[in-house]
Amino acid sequence: MGGSQSMPKITAQDRAILDLKIQRDKLRQYQRKIQVVLDREHEIAKQHLAAGHKDRALVALRRRKYQEGLLVRTDGQLESLEQLVSTIEFSLVQVSVLHGLKQGNDVLKEIHKELNLESVEKLLEETAEAREYQREMDNMLTNSLSLDEEDAVQAELKALQRETGNAEISLSLPDAPTSEPVSPEREEGNRRHEEERATGRVAIPA
Amino acid sequence: MNFSAHRTTTGFLLPSIHSAPPFYTQQPNAATQAVFTEHWTRLLLAYARHRGLFVLRVEDAEVSAGGEWDEVLRNPRINRRVKPELLSHILDAMVGKSLAAYEPAGQTRAALLHWRLPEEWAEVLHEWATKTGQLNTILTFYEISDPPDPSALSGIPGALLRPAIAILAKSGRAQLISISDGDGVRFFPRSAK
Repeated sequence: MGGSQSMPKITAQDRAILDLKIQRDKLRQYQRKIQVVLDREHEIAKQHLAAGHKDRALVALRRRKYQEGLLVRTDGQLESLEQLVSTIEFSLVQVSVLHGLKQGNDVLKEIHKELNLESVEKLLEETAEAREYQREMDNMLTNSLSLDEEDAVQAELKALQRETGNAEISLSLPDAPTSEPVSPEREEGNRRHEEERATGRVAIPA
Repeated sequence: MNFSAHRTTTGFLLPSIHSAPPFYTQQPNAATQAVFTEHWTRLLLAYARHRGLFVLRVEDAEVSAGGEWDEVLRNPRINRRVKPELLSHILDAMVGKSLAAYEPAGQTRAALLHWRLPEEWAEVLHEWATKTGQLNTILTFYEISDPPDPSALSGIPGALLRPAIAILAKSGRAQLISISDGDGVRFFPRSAK
């Protein structure tokens, strides 16, 4: 069979799990059977009571009680079985998680093998060298202009600015004062005069 | 006479032919009977699908009342019912078209209805296992046919379950595990070959 090759093999573990589950199903079926018996005994007790056979009804109820005890006991068994099954299945999940982690770790190791410290250092060094080279090139290019040439470039820039009208805006400064500056005392007096004129009151000289 | 469709208490819509009295009698004319059998086949399969019934017995036409098939096999509104002979004739025709199979084999009193083909059952089964997150876990047949939450597979007989699993196993989507106490099955994701 070609199809069965890729399928996981049925291990003893699988068989054990299946066995457990089948036992669990059997318990469930057993419980169902007991439940049917319980209901029937209840019916029987009712019928006997209706017919006036009190002692027979009592017997039926006693049997019912016994079956009820069985049901409770199987409940306990079922619980422990189900717990076992759950624990096993959870452990299997844990195993596969562990397997996954291990594989991930292997891959990481493989990657690290290619990414060893030496080659990184070498690469960084090379990069630094290349950067240094680039800077030298930049310096050489900028230094190749003499001071005169630099002045000429600046002048050209200014000319360009004037042309586009940027120069006028940048030079709108206030005019310098043309009148004589007045001394602070006279100014004070002037101010007072102005105040008197404004309010209409006569100031008492101090 | 005015024949009309009728909705049953379980919500199944019976076609108008169901209230035609001749429908319940075996026709002497073979051609007519063939047409009637065809209608019955369709009706029975539709009803089985509606109620999730798997087995149809000749006995269902014999018992006085209270069976699962009463709504279809009886029509009290016109006082007609399917006679056991007619039902066994219909069953025979259905088995002939492999729309049903006598189960257990070797008798003609009870048949398993194939309202889903085994291939369709296989798909339903795999979809259920995927949806309920039960891939890669070992399941018992009882868990499939009697799950805690009712599913489309509730009550599926082993005779339908086994071929469906066999189909899935062929495409590598299931694996049958047998131990002395019973059988189990493990489903795999679709991608597995």
